[in-house]
Amino acid sequence: MFVPLIDNKCCSKGPGVLFDRVNLTLGNTSILENISFTIDPGTIHCLIGPNGGGKTSLLRSLLGQMPHTGEIAISSPGPVVMGYVPQALDFDHTLPITVDDFMAMVCQGRPAFTGIKAVHRPSIDQALSRVGLTKKRKRILGQLSGGERQRLLLAQALLPFPNLLLMDEPMAGLDKDGGRMLNDLLMELKHQGVTIFWIHHDLKEVKAIADRVTCVNKGVLFSGQPGLVLSSQQILDAFSAR
Amino acid sequence: MNSFYDLIRIFCEHWARVGVLPESFQYAFVVNSILCAMLIGPLLGGVGTMVVTKHLAFFSQAVGQAALTGVAIGIVLGEPYTSPYASLFGFCILFGLVMNFTRNRTKMSSDTVIGVFLSISLAFGACVLLYVTGKVNMHVLDNILFGSILTINDTDMNVLLVITVICASVGLPLYNRMLMASFNPSLAHVRGIRVKLLEYLFILMITVITVASLKVVGAVLVEALFIIPAASARNISRSMKGFFFYSVTFSTLSCLVGVILPMELSIPVPSGGAIILVASVFFLATALIRMAGGRFKDAAI
Repeated sequence: MFVPLIDNKCCSKGPGVLFDRVNLTLGNTSILENISFTIDPGTIHCLIGPNGGGKTSLLRSLLGQMPHTGEIAISSPGPVVMGYVPQALDFDHTLPITVDDFMAMVCQGRPAFTGIKAVHRPSIDQALSRVGLTKKRKRILGQLSGGERQRLLLAQALLPFPNLLLMDEPMAGLDKDGGRMLNDLLMELKHQGVTIFWIHHDLKEVKAIADRVTCVNKGVLFSGQPGLVLSSQQILDAFSAR
Repeated sequence: MNSFYDLIRIFCEHWARVGVLPESFQYAFVVNSILCAMLIGPLLGGVGTMVVTKHLAFFSQAVGQAALTGVAIGIVLGEPYTSPYASLFGFCILFGLVMNFTRNRTKMSSDTVIGVFLSISLAFGACVLLYVTGKVNMHVLDNILFGSILTINDTDMNVLLVITVICASVGLPLYNRMLMASFNPSLAHVRGIRVKLLEYLFILMITVITVASLKVVGAVLVEALFIIPAASARNISRSMKGFFFYSVTFSTLSCLVGVILPMELSIPVPSGGAIILVASVFFLATALIRMAGGRFKDAAI
């Protein structure tokens, strides 16, 4: 069932992000060199590039989790509410933590073992419904498939409603239905003004959904509108470099 | 506070005389141990769920065994050998924090770092203990190693009560955040959680709880009371609610039965050993339920 997400707070455009000469070196290894590009407010911006090219490091630099140099500036007229979908959830699969417990854990201060607080229930119901997990809310996380766990990570990123959504390969593990659900969700969020920045590998999807795309392999190889920059030769160059 | 304990002891003595409570409740040390059991049970059972989730089982064992060195240092420094709390807390907190700092900085696996620190602590403790052999009766150390309800006094109960209140006031509001930090530190950070700070806070909590429980459960066995009730609860739980409350229940029952049963049956065993044996019965029973029950057969190879 399609349940529209409602952002009661605002429908203005989300923040823009500026990467200005960002460098990242870990030990003696240079991970990122002179990265400069911008993410426009309220757009879907994809980050592509070969494995080990520094995509996740760039995202983690934006999150403030990597000791980079250069400037990463988030500009927004109002407060920035960030949603983040990590690549995977690392946990002991035998732990008796249900989908509801997980959502309670991320959304409320009261211990998850006391159940979901009444004030959070409607928004949690809505988020789970939006990612198609309503019927599995009593399942323990270890019993969920990889795709279902990815849906759960998406659901938590919607609470509180973000105006900047960062995703690290959210399609990994999703089946066709899951992929369609994600695309619908992203378009809906975009229409509500949310700025979306995501790492993605499927170039066909990128062409279909992204407003802009940036290819990173240590440095920026190209950046622009997918229809203009995703030519066969550029893709070949990007993924055969290094 | 001590007059409050006196009041409880007077009530228990009265009820034991009129036959409401077992005869052994006439003795002050029995009431002391029951009071301690009622604090330690919920505390270790509740925190144990987090210890199991965070894979810190052997950390608490290392801290427990470091307590032996703490006692030896306390005796050398002239503290009373029955309750050298300054040295115990001082050494164990330092031990726990340095161990965690080393683990963070070297990025070595937890079991390696804990193994190294455990060995260093034991070696150091063995050397200091040899030095203090002439100063105290070495049987005192049995009480530290395996627990003894006979030695619990009002100071021990005060220490335990204060630690329980502090840990509950700090741990419950931060429970979700600590859990989140162990699931995905990156996600936790985005949600405004100070992952490293909470990690050190949790290490500090385990350390002070371990030290405060030594008199009842013993240095060697205190780690077991963190793990066994939580592991038993995990065997039969299908949610966090079950996991937490079963763990608290198993831990509290283990403490109470482990303290009362040997006295009622006149079995001369250390309280720590009896408590852990009772907890083990819960574990075996829940493991059998898990193996037999279809709904829990979700383990895959």
